[in-house]
Amino acid sequence: MSLFAWLRAAKPQLDAIQQRRLAQLPKPATLSEGALRSQRWVVVDLETSGLNLNRDQVLSIGAVVIEDGAVDFSQLFERTLQRPETKLSPSVLIHGLGPSAIAAGSDPVEALLDFMEYVGDSPLLAFHAPFDQHMLSRALKDSLGYRLTHPFLDVADIAPLLCPEAPIREAGLDDWVKHFHLEVGERHHASADALATAELMLILFSRARQQSIDTPLALHTRLSQWKRRQQAPSF
Amino acid sequence: MQLDNDKKTAVTVMSKADAFAQAGKTAVLQNIQGTLQFLQRFPPFNQMENAHLAFLVEQCQLRFYAPGDSILKPSGGPVEHFYIVKQGRVIGERPDTTETTFEITTGECFPLAALLGERATRTEHKAAEDTFCLQLNKPAFIKLFALSSPFRDFALRGVSSLLDQVNQQVQQKAVETLGTQYSLNTRLGELAMRHPVTCNPHTPLREAVTLMHEQQVGSIVIVDDNKAPLGIFTLRDLRHVVAGGVSDFSQAIDAHMTQAPFFLTPDHSAFDAAIAMTERHIAHVCLVKDQRLCGVVSERDLFSLQRVDLVHLARTIRNAPRIDNLVAIRGEIGQLVERMLAHGASSTQITHIITLLNDHTVCRVIELSLAEKGDPGVPFSWLCFGSEGRREQTLYTDQDNGILFEAKDASEAAAIRGRLLPLAQHINQSLALCGFSLCKGNIMAGNPELCLSRAEWARRFAAFIREATPENLLGSSIYFDLRVVWGDEQGCEVLRQGILDQVADNRLFQRMLAENALRQRPPVGRFRDFVLTRKGGEKATLDLKVQGLTPFVDGARLLALANGIHANNTLERLRQLVVKEVIEPLDGAAYEEAYHFIQQTRMQQHQLQSRENQPYSNRVDPDSLNHLDRRILRESLRQAQRLQSSLTLRYQL
Repeated sequence: MSLFAWLRAAKPQLDAIQQRRLAQLPKPATLSEGALRSQRWVVVDLETSGLNLNRDQVLSIGAVVIEDGAVDFSQLFERTLQRPETKLSPSVLIHGLGPSAIAAGSDPVEALLDFMEYVGDSPLLAFHAPFDQHMLSRALKDSLGYRLTHPFLDVADIAPLLCPEAPIREAGLDDWVKHFHLEVGERHHASADALATAELMLILFSRARQQSIDTPLALHTRLSQWKRRQQAPSF
Repeated sequence: MQLDNDKKTAVTVMSKADAFAQAGKTAVLQNIQGTLQFLQRFPPFNQMENAHLAFLVEQCQLRFYAPGDSILKPSGGPVEHFYIVKQGRVIGERPDTTETTFEITTGECFPLAALLGERATRTEHKAAEDTFCLQLNKPAFIKLFALSSPFRDFALRGVSSLLDQVNQQVQQKAVETLGTQYSLNTRLGELAMRHPVTCNPHTPLREAVTLMHEQQVGSIVIVDDNKAPLGIFTLRDLRHVVAGGVSDFSQAIDAHMTQAPFFLTPDHSAFDAAIAMTERHIAHVCLVKDQRLCGVVSERDLFSLQRVDLVHLARTIRNAPRIDNLVAIRGEIGQLVERMLAHGASSTQITHIITLLNDHTVCRVIELSLAEKGDPGVPFSWLCFGSEGRREQTLYTDQDNGILFEAKDASEAAAIRGRLLPLAQHINQSLALCGFSLCKGNIMAGNPELCLSRAEWARRFAAFIREATPENLLGSSIYFDLRVVWGDEQGCEVLRQGILDQVADNRLFQRMLAENALRQRPPVGRFRDFVLTRKGGEKATLDLKVQGLTPFVDGARLLALANGIHANNTLERLRQLVVKEVIEPLDGAAYEEAYHFIQQTRMQQHQLQSRENQPYSNRVDPDSLNHLDRRILRESLRQAQRLQSSLTLRYQL
């Protein structure tokens, strides 16, 4: 046993309070069949040290809540994580988080616990969700030993599903922002991107209701069907 | 887990009680900051403290509305939220019509009246396009209302507080280019720097003149033991003394001074002094406080303000030896107005000055005509109507005038008319030479129908009120603003009293006037910002006079006539209507400011056109205005709309 112990990553060191907070995190709820409007959603965006799914790290988390059909400015989440080992990489030019900002950040354990308490049992939304889901899962596992099982819906899929008339394919967040003439502050900042994604989602929820997609579960089902069709080989 | 919305609101407000303190201390969240910066582009948010603004944003929810989505409606009960349009456009629809009554765009907010009145909105608010609104709950709105005075001002006064900003801007500009001392609003106390030169009434002439010479002043004020001014002696008076052949300069000065000199207080403005000098043909104004002389302001003191062109002009006009001279002077009036506008004078000050100078010109033309044609030997009064009657002239006006005289009966009236008409026609032609274009509708004293005895005028006016034909209604809107420019004013006042008595008694006529006042609809709503008229291939524009000012002028006239108010001037009418409690003080102030702003914009247009040698026009392209001016113009037009809807209500139209 001890022979393999070194192969496993060291168990994260949590103090008693942190242990208790971890234990008290609510289980994710399954997507409901209630009205879309009554679902609380967390829209998240991460800035990472790079695009490598296995090596790069989460540097900051920005999130906003959509509740009662609106973005609630009293529930904003924004943390920069302390990552002393992060090397200066070209991605700093994109997210603008310099070494000093990262050094001044929060302890990742605290930040991630804060974030999961903020998420609660709500489903998550992100643009290009698989990337955020993967990076966040890894960070939670490394820092907290926590397994993320919350539903994660990809806004990059929902948008073309509900707006097939939009003349853009394989679009990025910028393209959709432009398509809907959204006025976004400083892009490539986790918080601003999360807000832009949330504004996009508000429009998409409105479209969903027009298309009689009335529940979170229905949205999820339609999304799965759409993705299967997209992946089916076309002749 | 979904909390009841109200409960959640209450909880957030409580937990955010110290949000200001926090906002200052902790780094402000990126998205709060971003939204803050967005709001700071728009009034009143640009005037609010950061902490208050941060509180506002933190309490907000951001909502999306697809085109046609209803945001607020009359059936929704008392309004529970304050909305700021972050992006998109919201339109208002009255329940009885589908006509758009207003539009609200980026950076603007709603529904203030309903929120403050704790009632439902009267208008359905709908999204006209993809629209995002920041929604603030009522408890937070109330708290902000209590904390932030710019926000409170805005919520209570709406446009009016915006107009203050424009005025500040205008004055700021004037101050930047001229320095504070060059303002027409300068207190006279600040202008009269020197101690006044005085003497007692028994001082010999020689001694007084020596004193003036030593002190290098043009006037000496004669005071009693308590320093109360008894008279003034100026260089002009000295000229009279010398020309009059007085050789004994040991005579006491009180025999030669001008008694009871005109005075103002040190708190009056340079503008007041300039007007007084122009009206009274004097060059010195005493400043008196608590009955004691404390200074003298001379024409030359005002000259240092480059202002007395006004006094100088008025004097040149009154002394012009020939019509040709008056023609030449007209050009100078244009330059004066241009300078005053550039120096931040208000449209009210400018119309006042133009009216004054025009009155002087008319008087001088009449005097010169009398001298040239000979006195007809019948006393008469020269009347003016329309904008001239209301003292609201701009530089570009037609003649609207008539003659009033007294006659025993119809045959005497006809005889007098026969004597006055050639003179009147001569005056009309001379005025035309001086730049008062001949009236296309022939509303001129030289027209036999407008050279009438008092009885004839009274009959004519009574017919206007009795038979409300379209022509008569139009006539009343011109003639009922009558005023005497030259001659005795008594007859005119009797006529006016007659009009007021008859209109007060005639509800039907009032109703017709009200309908008439609703003809010109201010161009707001329906179209994006303004409803614009497109003429041929020209760019869409709006008519500031007809679509902007006329609703105020017509509305104020109707209410003034119906409520026994003698004043002619639209702003004066509005003020007196407030005093008589016919309109609310807040509404009165809002109308006044809106009227004022539209007039100011119109004059700036005229000046621009004259500088660029373009034909003069009241049409403006709103796109050519800056963001703030444009928005205020729109709000001002909305005030015109409000005045009209109050008439609709009052007269149940």
